[in-house]
Amino acid sequence: MKRSLIAATALVAFSTASFAQDVAQKDSKWFTDALAKIQEMSIRQPITAKAKNVILFTADGNGVGTNYATRLFVGQQKGGLGEEYVLPYEQFPNLALVKTYNTNAQTPDSAPTASAMNTGVKSKFSTINVSENAVASDCSTLAGNELTTFAELMEKAGKSVGVISTARITHATPAAVYVNTVDRDWEDNTGIPEDCAQKDIADQLAEAMKSGRVDVAMGGGRRHFFPTDVTDEEGKGGKRTDGRNLIEELKGSGAQYAWDEESFKALTTGNNAPIIGLFESSHMKYEHDRTGEPSIAEMTEAAIKAMAGNENGYYLVVEAGRVDHANHDGNLHRTLTDGAAFAEAVALADQLTNDEDTLIIVTADHEHAIAFNGYCGRGSPITGLCYEIDDAGEKHLDTLNMADDGKPYTVAGFLNGPGAVLVKGEDEKFTAPEGRQTVTQEEATDPDYIQQAMIPLSSETHSGEDVAVYAKGPWAHLFDGTVEQNYIFHVMNHAVNAQ
Amino acid sequence: MDRRVFLTGLVCFAGVAPAEAGDETIRLRNFYNKDQSFSDYAVSMQGTRVAVSGFMAPPLKADSQFFVLTSRPMAVCPFCETSADWPDDILAVYTKRVFDVAPFNVPIVTHGTLELGTYKDPETGFVSRVRIVNAIYDRS
Ligand SMILES: [Zn+2]
Repeated sequence: MKRSLIAATALVAFSTASFAQDVAQKDSKWFTDALAKIQEMSIRQPITAKAKNVILFTADGNGVGTNYATRLFVGQQKGGLGEEYVLPYEQFPNLALVKTYNTNAQTPDSAPTASAMNTGVKSKFSTINVSENAVASDCSTLAGNELTTFAELMEKAGKSVGVISTARITHATPAAVYVNTVDRDWEDNTGIPEDCAQKDIADQLAEAMKSGRVDVAMGGGRRHFFPTDVTDEEGKGGKRTDGRNLIEELKGSGAQYAWDEESFKALTTGNNAPIIGLFESSHMKYEHDRTGEPSIAEMTEAAIKAMAGNENGYYLVVEAGRVDHANHDGNLHRTLTDGAAFAEAVALADQLTNDEDTLIIVTADHEHAIAFNGYCGRGSPITGLCYEIDDAGEKHLDTLNMADDGKPYTVAGFLNGPGAVLVKGEDEKFTAPEGRQTVTQEEATDPDYIQQAMIPLSSETHSGEDVAVYAKGPWAHLFDGTVEQNYIFHVMNHAVNAQ
Repeated sequence: MDRRVFLTGLVCFAGVAPAEAGDETIRLRNFYNKDQSFSDYAVSMQGTRVAVSGFMAPPLKADSQFFVLTSRPMAVCPFCETSADWPDDILAVYTKRVFDVAPFNVPIVTHGTLELGTYKDPETGFVSRVRIVNAIYDRS
């Protein structure tokens, strides 16, 4: 935050530097805004101090396309037309495009993508923090292929480590902070083959917290931490069949435990006790449906406050895990309300930290099969139908664009997924006898609407398209151009070790 | 009754309790308050015939008289994971007869008598908070 004040002061001093040209449009706001941006950019100085803290924000499945939709959605929620809006992290000074493929997959999944960010190398689909020589789900290939994680390096450097997710805390992205596993699905002991010595993901988290490698962990996934014959605070059963109750083990070792909004608010910070928050049996609720559990911004604030007392600093990973899930469901409304909550968490973290000592990175692990139609007028609702362009004005006309089938269509759609236009008939054939479903603006902008899709698939897929990485703070300027995803680790590692 | 009437009812509903039961199609979300307690509307409709729109989750077993209605298509088979992965706002539907399975992503409207309160199905072990019984369904 301080940094922008310095920049603003310098900007005033520089404003006389614009040279006299006779340009008819020189008084247009577009023109003067861009000139101001030139002045801001031309005096920008990189921060080359050593980073004390690193915060890595990932919105799962928030590629350039999904993020574009979030930008318009938040802008429209705030009363604007939407296109002009700038998300908090879009104001960050540094940006690169990220290639997200895995060593054996053009279309990535969240396990090796998170692994790339946490270890500095790419690996195979479905694996986390093991080298590309390991084979997915093959336990015998774990030994010798475990990779060193950024969290391990940070713990050795005396820093605190925190991990937050709105998905299960044992899900791929958060797990990459603390596990080595050949299979992302081994969230509790039930998935692990009998003769396999690898510890399950929940067990590895408990171990990391007991040993002091992880200090704060908050998210969903409670069921993976206790046995099948035990019911939790919300009356739901556990998944473990080894009889272990990792929550009780953690409490016994001095950890604070929270499971709902009330116990979350009762957490105390500054006493260095590890914090484990497990707010749902499975994933936490979508922001649209959230009740009785903290928001991603509230968890981020709690983690920062819990770890800020460490004079050596901290490494915090925050995942908005359900941007991805709503995309898989083809339900753009929940994708975007979770995206908006993610943006609020980033803004709050930025407010609570200092640009001079905290590197904040905002990225995604991969994109989805989302796509955008045209030609829509300014302000067409991003979850709704595409309006015609007003040739004389700015905002869209009130008439809808029609496809060749005489029906309107939404701005955004998916290339595949549950919203497929072709549906299974009684003869098992996929057809659309009456063509596409007709949809009204009211139906399309309903929070439960499923955007239309082309290829029928029960769950919409990821795509291999690029994601962006936005950054500010020490060595954020190392992000530029088009980079491999594993490069993110190297920027973090350079920033915390810079002399 | 013509299916289009239901669709129209759905669009007009907008969270206001209909004046007369059975004439309008309601959404699952109309049964709940934000904190997941039952809405006044749900309580007032207990024991009466209602029409609810939604999607048929892939049924537990073939030739059954039970299915789960969800507000959005169940993208992933919930039985491949655990029951904990059901969304909070589901409706257990006990049908009059053995029914034809609808694809998980085709909108349907179910008609039946509304029951509230936790109930564990002795046969499947499925626990529901809201049910409609003696039900039939149409593709909407
Ligand atoms: Zn995904």
